[in-house]
Amino acid sequence: MRRIFSARRNALLTPTGLSAGALALAFVLAVLALRLLAPNLFWKLMAPAMDASNAVANGTHALLAGFENSATLAAQNDALSAENTALAYKNQALLEENANLTALLGTAPAPKKGILAGVLARPPESPYDTLVVAAGADAGVTRGMEAFGAGGVPLGVVTTVHTDVARVTLFSAPDMITGGWAGSTSVPITIRGAGAGALDASIQRSAGIAAGDTVFVPGPGMLPIGIVARIDGDPSAPTVTLRIQPMTNVFSLVWVTLRDSGTDLLGALQAATSTLP
Amino acid sequence: MIRGTLTVATLASVILFPWPVTALLVVSSSLAVPLLPVVAGIFSDTLYYTHAAGMLPLGTIAGAAVTLAAYLVRNRLKPSIIEG
Repeated sequence: MRRIFSARRNALLTPTGLSAGALALAFVLAVLALRLLAPNLFWKLMAPAMDASNAVANGTHALLAGFENSATLAAQNDALSAENTALAYKNQALLEENANLTALLGTAPAPKKGILAGVLARPPESPYDTLVVAAGADAGVTRGMEAFGAGGVPLGVVTTVHTDVARVTLFSAPDMITGGWAGSTSVPITIRGAGAGALDASIQRSAGIAAGDTVFVPGPGMLPIGIVARIDGDPSAPTVTLRIQPMTNVFSLVWVTLRDSGTDLLGALQAATSTLP
Repeated sequence: MIRGTLTVATLASVILFPWPVTALLVVSSSLAVPLLPVVAGIFSDTLYYTHAAGMLPLGTIAGAAVTLAAYLVRNRLKPSIIEG
């Protein structure tokens, strides 16, 4: 009987095709072994490549921005300037209010200084809503520290620490569960990561949360993490789902501050996963 | 030569470009180099996967699935079309 697929005729088993794939597989398995056996060396070797990734991302952004309409950019610039002025006035008012309250209640404890760390990898290069930051155990980073973006916006929790590099799991990572509050009445909610920088929360319809309300998480006090962008739910159902837009765009993070916020975030993380060692 | 270039480009893409770009490159190259999807998946998980997120290593799993699909498709195709 005649053979239909001989080794010679089967294109899959051509020596060239097999060798390219097999060599690449051997290479990535060696990289994986290095990552598992000598993580510090691995991250030292990978850091320049990830810096190159940042340079490519910045270059692409600058290139795409160049195609935007100049009139649109001018309008956007005016709007941002106006918003900046308004925020400066508001900030001044809040500082004054803070000074009055401090005088009334006594001196507040000085906030802890954080560790400034450059971001080596972020979504969407990293598909798991994690950050790789260029500060590790040598810089004083410990597991469980909270990561903050510009303006002190909470971003996530340090889950892995190496000598020079640490990995931060963002609050938006799938199945990451964080306690928080929503709205001006501070209704308690459970915030769940939805991936790709997004957050969700379920709440009773009668709680009266509306689109545009601010969502807070515990830190030193209540820290804003995002804004309710949309409310989804069946009109006949007693609960609704809040779609929360984070205040910080995790896709363009360059620096983060890591510090111990005094909140047991790892406890919440362990409750959310069954695969922690 | 082309297979080698595709392999290097895919591995570089895992580091340099957003993951949807890498996924597109991997799927389009999988007929030429069937092992490439699982290679890219393992490499991506080596760099970015963290088990603290309570997730499966989706890169490796998806890569293995695409590699399997590529093998099946190639075994069904006429070799003369593919071989360059």
